Amino acid sequence: MNQPSLSSGSRNVQMARSMCWHCQSEVAGEYFCERCVKVQPVSKETDYFTCLGLPRRLTIDPALLEAKYYERSRAFHPDFYLNKTEAEQAISLDNAATLNTAYRTLRDPVQRAEYLLDLEAGSAKTIRTSPPADLFEEILDLQDTLDAYRAGDHSSETGRQLRARLEAERGALERRQAEMEDELQKLFVEWDALQDRGEADDPSRMERDRLLRRIREILSNRTYVKNIVNDLVETIG
Amino acid sequence: MAYSDKVVDHFNNPRNMGSFNKDEEGVGTGMVGAPECGDVMKLQIKVQNDRIVDAKFKTFGCGSAIASSSLATEWLKGKTLEEAEQIKNTDIVQELNLPPVKIHCSVLAEDAIKAALADYQKKAGSKTGTGSAQ
Repeated sequence: MNQPSLSSGSRNVQMARSMCWHCQSEVAGEYFCERCVKVQPVSKETDYFTCLGLPRRLTIDPALLEAKYYERSRAFHPDFYLNKTEAEQAISLDNAATLNTAYRTLRDPVQRAEYLLDLEAGSAKTIRTSPPADLFEEILDLQDTLDAYRAGDHSSETGRQLRARLEAERGALERRQAEMEDELQKLFVEWDALQDRGEADDPSRMERDRLLRRIREILSNRTYVKNIVNDLVETIG
Repeated sequence: MAYSDKVVDHFNNPRNMGSFNKDEEGVGTGMVGAPECGDVMKLQIKVQNDRIVDAKFKTFGCGSAIASSSLATEWLKGKTLEEAEQIKNTDIVQELNLPPVKIHCSVLAEDAIKAALADYQKKAGSKTGTGSAQ
C-alpha cells in the first residue's frame, strides 16, 4: 500500500476508495464491488448527503430521506454479514454507524443546516457574525429577573409581579422563536433555488455568502433564545 | 463529569458579579456569546490611568462559563491594560482544571476580556485626552 503524501492526501483517499479492498478491481458501483460483490467502506470523505444519495439541499422530503435510509440500512446492516469474513463484518458495522449518524443529522432541519454550513464554509464557526448585543442585554436582564423571582416569595405581591413579567417575556421570546423558524425556512428555500440554478458568477457567489451568513446568524440567535426560554419554562412552568 | 473544586467555588461564590453603566467614563464593555452552546457573557472593566481598578461580569451559561468569567474579573483587577492583554484562555483552563469539553468557556472569557479592552480603547480614542493618561 502506498503512503499518501501530505499534499495530495485527499486525492489518494479517493483513489483508494475507487479500488476494491478485496480484489483490487475498480469499483464503479456505489458500495459494492461489481466483480467480487464485497461490501465497500463508505469513505470518510463522503458527506452525509452523498452517503444517503441525496442532493446537498436544505429542504429534504422526510419520506424520501427515510426511504433512502432504509434502503441503505438493508445493504449495510451487520446482521446480514454474520456469515461473512471479519473484514466485511467490520466494514458493514462502520458503514451502518456512518449511515445512522448521517440520517440523524439530516433528519433534523436545524442540524442539517448546521452540517451544511460546516460543509460549505469550512468550520461554521469561521463565519463571524457580530454578536447581537441587544439580545444579549435582554437575556442578561431577564436572568436577573429570574434570579429575583427564584429567591423571593412567590406568593407575595412582588413575586406575582415578577411572574407576570416573566410570562410576558416568555410569550415574546416564543413569538421571536417562531419568527426565526419562519425566516430559516425561507432562507432554506432561497439557498436551494440558488443551488438549482448552479450559476458561478459574482452575484451568485455574493448571494451564497449572504445566505450562509444570515443562516449562521439566525441559528446562533436561535440557540441563545432557546436557552433562555428553557430556563423560563423550568422556572415558571 | 464533575466540576473541579475551584469551579464549584466560583459558581457558588461568584466574584464581582454585576455591571457598570456602559456609558460611564473609563468603562469598557465586552459582550460575547458562544453560538454552539448559547452561553452569553458580559465582562466590564473600569480603567483609571491605564490600570484596571474594577471589573464586573454577568454570565448566562454553565458553571464553567460562570467560573471562567468570575476568575477573569478577579485577575483583571489591578492589572494594567497591557498586562490584561496577556491573559490567555489556557491560564484559565489551568487554574480551574477545566476538562476538554469546557475549554470553549475559557475561550469565551478571553474573548470577553479582549472585547472589553477594545471597547475601552475605542471610547478613550474617540474622546482625546480623557479616559487615558499619557
